[in-house]
Amino acid sequence: MEKLKRFYDKSYKKLLILPAIMILFCFVYLFIFYQTHGDFIKKDISLTGGTTVTLYQPLDVNSLEKNLTDKLTDLHIREVYDLTTKEQKAIIIETTEEGQKTKKILEDYFGYELNDKNSSFEFTGSSLSKTFYRQLLFAILLAFVFMAIVVFLIFKNFIPSIAVIVSAFADILMTLVTFNILGFKMSTAGIVALLMLIGYSVDTDILLTNRLLKSRSTDSLNKKIFEAFKTGMTMTLTAIVSVVISLLIVKSFSVTLTQIFTVILIGLFFDIFNTWLTNASLLKWYIEGKHGKISNL
Amino acid sequence: MAKYLTFKVWLLIIALILSLLSIFGMPPSFFQKGVLITSVEVNSTAFDSGLRQNQIILQIDNQKIKNIEDFSNIINQRFPSSNDQKLSIKTKDSEYILFSNSSPEIIVQNIPKTKIKLGLDLVGGARALVRAENKTLTSAEINDLVSITNNRLNEFGLTDLKVVPVYDLSGNHLMLIEIAGATPKDLQKLVSEQGKFEAKIGDEVVFIGGNRDIASVGRDAQTARIESCDRIEQGYNCRFSFAITLSGDSAQRHADITRNLSVNETPQGRYLSKNLDLYLDDKLVDTLLISEDLKGRLTTQIAISGSATGTTNEEAYQNAVDDMKQLQTILITGSLPYKLEIVKLDNISPTLGKDFVKLILLAGLASIVGVSLVIFIRYRKIKASLFLLITSFSEIIIILGIASIIDWNLDLPSIAGILATIGTGIDQQIVILDEARHQVLLSMKEKLKRAFSIILGAYFASVVSLIPLLWAGAGLLKGFAITTIIGISVGILITRPAFTDLVKHLEKE
Repeated sequence: MEKLKRFYDKSYKKLLILPAIMILFCFVYLFIFYQTHGDFIKKDISLTGGTTVTLYQPLDVNSLEKNLTDKLTDLHIREVYDLTTKEQKAIIIETTEEGQKTKKILEDYFGYELNDKNSSFEFTGSSLSKTFYRQLLFAILLAFVFMAIVVFLIFKNFIPSIAVIVSAFADILMTLVTFNILGFKMSTAGIVALLMLIGYSVDTDILLTNRLLKSRSTDSLNKKIFEAFKTGMTMTLTAIVSVVISLLIVKSFSVTLTQIFTVILIGLFFDIFNTWLTNASLLKWYIEGKHGKISNL
Repeated sequence: MAKYLTFKVWLLIIALILSLLSIFGMPPSFFQKGVLITSVEVNSTAFDSGLRQNQIILQIDNQKIKNIEDFSNIINQRFPSSNDQKLSIKTKDSEYILFSNSSPEIIVQNIPKTKIKLGLDLVGGARALVRAENKTLTSAEINDLVSITNNRLNEFGLTDLKVVPVYDLSGNHLMLIEIAGATPKDLQKLVSEQGKFEAKIGDEVVFIGGNRDIASVGRDAQTARIESCDRIEQGYNCRFSFAITLSGDSAQRHADITRNLSVNETPQGRYLSKNLDLYLDDKLVDTLLISEDLKGRLTTQIAISGSATGTTNEEAYQNAVDDMKQLQTILITGSLPYKLEIVKLDNISPTLGKDFVKLILLAGLASIVGVSLVIFIRYRKIKASLFLLITSFSEIIIILGIASIIDWNLDLPSIAGILATIGTGIDQQIVILDEARHQVLLSMKEKLKRAFSIILGAYFASVVSLIPLLWAGAGLLKGFAITTIIGISVGILITRPAFTDLVKHLEKE
């Protein structure tokens, strides 16, 4: 630990290269991604429009996929299973096809009527999904701006505020890119989770900035950072524990909740990185530049 | 122990008690016996006898009804029967007597154990989001649309429903319809059809749907019925007919138009040269011959008819009943001023909802316990971990309490919000614990004040970032923002101050 402290104290500026490279990589990646896919994310049917059908009976996913692929556009099938026995309880069929049509195709295929006893249908029109998507992006932007204003009001100090905002931004950016690299499709719930990351991310950043700027203790800056680090890490780690536990359980039945918790989990890992490298180093640089180096260790 | 009971801790305890009261009701509903009526079919025998939604049935024919099994046992024993049966149904406040040969037209369920309401995505039901085709609606227009639709669905016999205007971030107006429980098969038709009804002779409109032209629509056994069912080439065809009463104006129009028509001699009798054509949304529903004696006369009584087909006799009959019901509804409520488009339609089965709720509770519990363990490992303090555990639990109970006071339907996004609050809530408690332990130079009061300034900052940053969600996506994700905002506000106002006091005394020891 002492070694690490000394290393950090000496080379914190160099360490800033790491987040800088990662942010740059993210931008390049997203640019290329946009060029090839026409958007920053791969959208699932909650954002493109389409139908989700849940059938409450065990069915063979592979044969279904084989037989329905050419009938239903962009077909995707998942399972809902029992948490303990892993036994299949239902299957979820997703397609970009319209609701009534999907129902007809499935009824023809299965040979019986699909009603509210054996199935659920959720249909979203593509025009609505498009507005949803635009509005959610706008909501994130708005949320970000609001958060930035609040941060400025709290610290009334330009550079530390910018450091908080940059690290929150980097957090969302890196999460988004990781999500894409892992090949996940984003849903409305996922975008909401990105928005939520803003809250999770500024939590630790505000803690750090407060400890460093407003503390009257005589400890060295580096020591203060490491004290804050201990608190912040406990915060993020407990959050990770609670998210992982929730994720393991909700994975068995809810696509929506699974997506929310996956995004938050990825985001929390990047939050560690961005708070303690990006934000902490920027802040240390600012304080030392202003007051000179207060003391060694 | 007494030293822990500061004002802030008392505040937490009081908030907890109030929340438990609002969740379970007073007296707690799990001690209550009986079954709850969730809907009563309009104009049915049950409706006429006075039974209404939300009443609690305690006894039928002096036999105690404890739950839904008791209810179905009695009803299945008695119905269907060949002759009218007397049924005396006793509710909490009154007694109702029914005479009928079929089971009462009501839907009942066990009395819910809590007052917490779950969203459609958990209990099942139908949800539709509707907007006008090629037209931007003003708030006045959307309110009209909502009231017409509400009326229409009520006339159709749906009572357990919610129709509200919703707005989104770009200022679009949409209509949200939510129907709990069983989904009507024709919801799509019923909601999206404009329902423009016109009765024409030649090109002249005699009357249209709605109460301006139509004084009343017959819906009882004497005035509305399925007349006949016949075999046709493919399956069966059933004809329905029902009586309507025209208003004075439209009767006058009918007289004026028919006065100038000539009379045709046909094998069936003498009829006017032109027919009365019935159009629904510009499609011809039926054509009625007008008998000679109506020529130029002021008649207010007119029979409306139509037909429906099906592959079997039963299906044709059922379709005819459905079509008749829909046409009656449209004639009563009138048409919508524009075409509608259903942009989202969800039919959720209630099958797995209960399992989901259990799993969600499990997820919440497991993560609180998991986190408390982490805290214990980190600080090695049983009491601190225990306080944290209690605080997090109380937070969830208070969120649920507030949700049931404001009648908030907890859907999946709302629940995600509650689970997420556990995370942030614990984060803030860790800040308090650590701030209290560090910075030896400061007084305990100073330290905790500092902890609070961090938490307050994070709180405002989170709240403002959630606000846009209240409107984005036509408010379908609102639940997430609502429960999270309630959760973190409860945290900052009630649970966190109490936890701070608890920690203060803990550190003093």
